[in-house]
Amino acid sequence: MADKSNDPVALWQNMIGEMEKGFNAFANQAMASPEFSKVVNQVGGATAGAQKQLGELMEKYLVSMNMPSRSQMVGMAERLQSIEGQLNEIKAMLHQMQSASGGAAGGSSQAPRPPRTKRPPPPAGGEPK
Amino acid sequence: MKPASAPDLAGFDLASIPERIQSEVQRAIQRSIKGVEYISTSGPSLGSTPKDILSTRGTMNLYHYRPIADEIYRVPILIVMATTNRGYILDMVPGQSFIEFLLKRGYDVYMLDWTAPKPEEKNLRMEDYVLDFIPDCVRHVQQDSGENDVTVIGYCFGGVLSLLYGSIFANGPMKNLICFTTPIDFRGMKLFQNFSDRRYFDVDRLVDNIGNVPPEMILSSFEMLRPASRAASQVQLWENIWNDEFVKSYRMFDRWATDTLPLAGEYFRAITKDLMWDNKLFNDTMTVGGRKANIADIKVPILHAVAEHDHIVPYEAARPLIEKIGSADKEEVILKGGHVSLVAGANAVRRLWPKLDSWLCERST
Repeated sequence: MADKSNDPVALWQNMIGEMEKGFNAFANQAMASPEFSKVVNQVGGATAGAQKQLGELMEKYLVSMNMPSRSQMVGMAERLQSIEGQLNEIKAMLHQMQSASGGAAGGSSQAPRPPRTKRPPPPAGGEPK
Repeated sequence: MKPASAPDLAGFDLASIPERIQSEVQRAIQRSIKGVEYISTSGPSLGSTPKDILSTRGTMNLYHYRPIADEIYRVPILIVMATTNRGYILDMVPGQSFIEFLLKRGYDVYMLDWTAPKPEEKNLRMEDYVLDFIPDCVRHVQQDSGENDVTVIGYCFGGVLSLLYGSIFANGPMKNLICFTTPIDFRGMKLFQNFSDRRYFDVDRLVDNIGNVPPEMILSSFEMLRPASRAASQVQLWENIWNDEFVKSYRMFDRWATDTLPLAGEYFRAITKDLMWDNKLFNDTMTVGGRKANIADIKVPILHAVAEHDHIVPYEAARPLIEKIGSADKEEVILKGGHVSLVAGANAVRRLWPKLDSWLCERST
């Protein structure tokens, strides 16, 4: 088998790994400075504000073009999510009704639940607890 | 085997060169074939251990996993997932599922998992999570299992929520507490501290403007902790794309890591002000909905598992938990791995899961 220290593929992989570590360490040092926080938050704050304004403008444009806007699509997604949620609630209610009626829950939701009698396994070579 | 006559040149085994070239050519062909497959197929199906939904309310979902052992421990487990991520990290695929492991070992498992909060849920506060969602789930677990005692397992920020819950409801019904990589001294999260420096980060303006904090923002703040790692992992994927097991594992973790959840605006505001800025959990000044949450009030047995190379929750942020908690029966275990590989994947199968089982089985009867 080829010696790892002389294997060009292993050397390449090692180099990538070292570069990753080196860059991460360098970036972490740079990101730990208060200047970094100041710049990022200034840019981030400005971007969030600009995004909000642009979003409102786009919304008006899409309405005039008779096209659904993002908020309408999000609204539709929410309705779907709410339908899914209601289905889940119905499933949960059915599950509870099944439990209440004495029909076994758990297992495959049809099967009886196993007894809660399990004990820890005995230590190797010892008596059961 | 190296022929006796093969000469060495600068340490290279010349006789092995044709063999290496052949192997690399084969891998290059496999890369092209598998690369097309990768693009044209979806990843493995995740989170498929059979479960029933016990309760769902807005962002909160409570699952019960169907027992598979013939006999189970008396005390059920409630897993509280981190609010930024999906619970299927603990239920990847058969053989690499923490949930499946627990079920096979005879535990009765429930999970409090989260979905994306809707825009109208932007006003959810810390007290909704700690004083409403968790107690509600605990009640459901008690009712469903018929047992009063419950073991709580919290992962990352799920651990913080579990600690807050345990501090406020110190008289029960939590019987045992297990935390995975749970920060309590937020000064230790140095980069997050810097990103949210109160001199420059206007959390009020952000939350007032956008409501819920978008998942892209959460994901990019995680990725900024290791900015070169995404590019390096893609190089690694290309190199190993001929290897089906590697690709399967890459797809599972990549899908989960990018499947980040938004955070409810008010909840994010509280995390930033109370924890990141004022470090109230560590300083014993934390209150939730006007109720004091001091972790010294928690007296139940606790196991805290931390990862040696955790870049999200560094050890300095997690270390004081065991010192400060009021329990007499307490243990910290430091395992090799990172924030995610501690709980999922081959590393966890070998290290964390057996350790957790040996600790918990004796406390679950």
